[in-house]
Amino acid sequence: MRTSRPVAGSLAVLGYIIMIVPILFVVATSFTGGRTLRFPPEGFSLQWFEAALTYDPFISALVSSLQLALIATVLALAIGIPATLAIHRGAIPGKGVIEGLFLSPLIVPELVVGLALYQQLMIGFGLANFETLLLGHTVLMLPYAVRVTGASLALADPALEEAARGLGASPLRAFFTITLPLLRPGIFSAGLLSFLTSFNNVPLSLLLQSRDFRTLPVTMLDYVQQSYDPMVAAMATLILAGTVVIAVIAERTVGFAKIFGGINR
Amino acid sequence: MNAAAEFAGVSQVFGDFTAVDSIDLRIAQGKLTTLLGPSGCGKTTTLRMLAGYAAPTSGRIDIDGVDSTRTPPEKRNLGMVFQSYALFPHLTVAENVGYGLKLRRVPAAERQQRVQETLELVGLGHLAASKPKKLSGGQQQRVALARAIAIRPKLLLLDEPLSNLDARLRVHMRAELRRIQSETGLTVVLVTHDQDEALEMSDDMVLMRAGRIMQQGAPQDVFPNPANRFVADFLGYENFLTAADGSVLAVRPEHLDVLPVGGPTAAGGLALDATVTDVAYRGVDMLVTVRTVDASGADVRLISDVRSDGLSTVSIGDVVTVTAPPSRLVAMAAEVPEPVR
Repeated sequence: MRTSRPVAGSLAVLGYIIMIVPILFVVATSFTGGRTLRFPPEGFSLQWFEAALTYDPFISALVSSLQLALIATVLALAIGIPATLAIHRGAIPGKGVIEGLFLSPLIVPELVVGLALYQQLMIGFGLANFETLLLGHTVLMLPYAVRVTGASLALADPALEEAARGLGASPLRAFFTITLPLLRPGIFSAGLLSFLTSFNNVPLSLLLQSRDFRTLPVTMLDYVQQSYDPMVAAMATLILAGTVVIAVIAERTVGFAKIFGGINR
Repeated sequence: MNAAAEFAGVSQVFGDFTAVDSIDLRIAQGKLTTLLGPSGCGKTTTLRMLAGYAAPTSGRIDIDGVDSTRTPPEKRNLGMVFQSYALFPHLTVAENVGYGLKLRRVPAAERQQRVQETLELVGLGHLAASKPKKLSGGQQQRVALARAIAIRPKLLLLDEPLSNLDARLRVHMRAELRRIQSETGLTVVLVTHDQDEALEMSDDMVLMRAGRIMQQGAPQDVFPNPANRFVADFLGYENFLTAADGSVLAVRPEHLDVLPVGGPTAAGGLALDATVTDVAYRGVDMLVTVRTVDASGADVRLISDVRSDGLSTVSIGDVVTVTAPPSRLVAMAAEVPEPVR
């Protein structure tokens, strides 16, 4: 890349530096032997990892976040995939409006969505905050579920399903043996994006938190406001490590090009 | 002859567009029938209605003597080859061909044997384990054909099967399709816009225009006797003139002769004085364009395709006599009215 396009290549390298260097500072700080969140670290120790992993609010928040992200992802896919199929293959009027509706959570500010959910569901209907959060996160993920699976559906030849029908497959059979396998990379990437969106979300989770249910980013934010020790850096490093592991698995099993290739096309 | 399929008064209307306009059509058992016509004539819609992918707006379609108008495609047992081939990209060649057999619960051993036999029939026995993406266009098409044949369909339906192949391969595949048809004894319906393809391959050809059937018959009957100007035009009769009785006469360029003025002409044939407006030398033959006036008094342009060696030099501006023997003049009704769509 650098040999043929020197400017673009340099910009890309600069971009990587800007994105990665701050992360390296956090990672380095988490291994400090000292007591404050400061760079360069003083000495080397794993004490803050131990502290983070035994700090109950972090661990229960991590479990909450994972639960929330996982269930919301499943829900978003369960709603988004059939919606995508209907939009792309169904004979329904107003497809553009319906797709726009599914994509609108990208545009509406999350604080507005959060406040609306808070007012209507938690205050109005007295819904518990986990259910409300789950609903909010699911809505937030729908654009990914619809857009990303839609992109891979748009690439698949509609004649494939017809061919399967002609060979004797019922519509359901044709969907499960032909369409679904072709959509798998798209569904995988939609799931991955949804999961990360939920896991990293702050505005919605901040507005809809409660004493019993709080997500990890909110808990960490809370913690930073009260104390300035490196435990939060250690927790951040652990999350980073987890994300890298997921990324490696995704790359090995499906391949990034295939997962994210569908988005831009 | 038994009909493998029969259309009675079948129409297909999309909004205010009539794609197929109340057609009656018999597809003969064990023959190769082509649906021929320009794009938009309704030939593909007709095939899709036969396959069950589009329900007729009105009319009735019988397959094997059974009313199948509303039967879904999976219950028709027809083999369809799509223009895009529509091979399942995530399955191997053998799995593609075996897909329909698996759905029919054919036991694995028998299935494998039939897949292999069918692949041998189309000359691809050695590629069973490949993924479709690795194959050339011609090979992919053979896989699509094998997949359709493997289920032993009542009819084999081919939608413009040769249009994505290069010219040489296309001519070769015409013969291949004929061979496969005669070896399997299948009833084949083939959609094409290529009149050479239709003439060469058909037992029965159906010419369509604007959702209607213009003429149906064996190529040997249709070609020398086009029913109307549209059919004649489509089959390469380039010269049309109005006769004294108001009917239209059509002559193929190769049957139109260019002679010096005042020479002998066949009795009852065509003999018109004309002015040469263009001469195109093409090696073996040459195309001579002339301008003349027909019996109705209209200015007409005629093209003659004559062998270069049989003709003394003709140049632009020469006054000549264009002639055709009576046996080469095809009379037909005047212009077919443009159907309302």
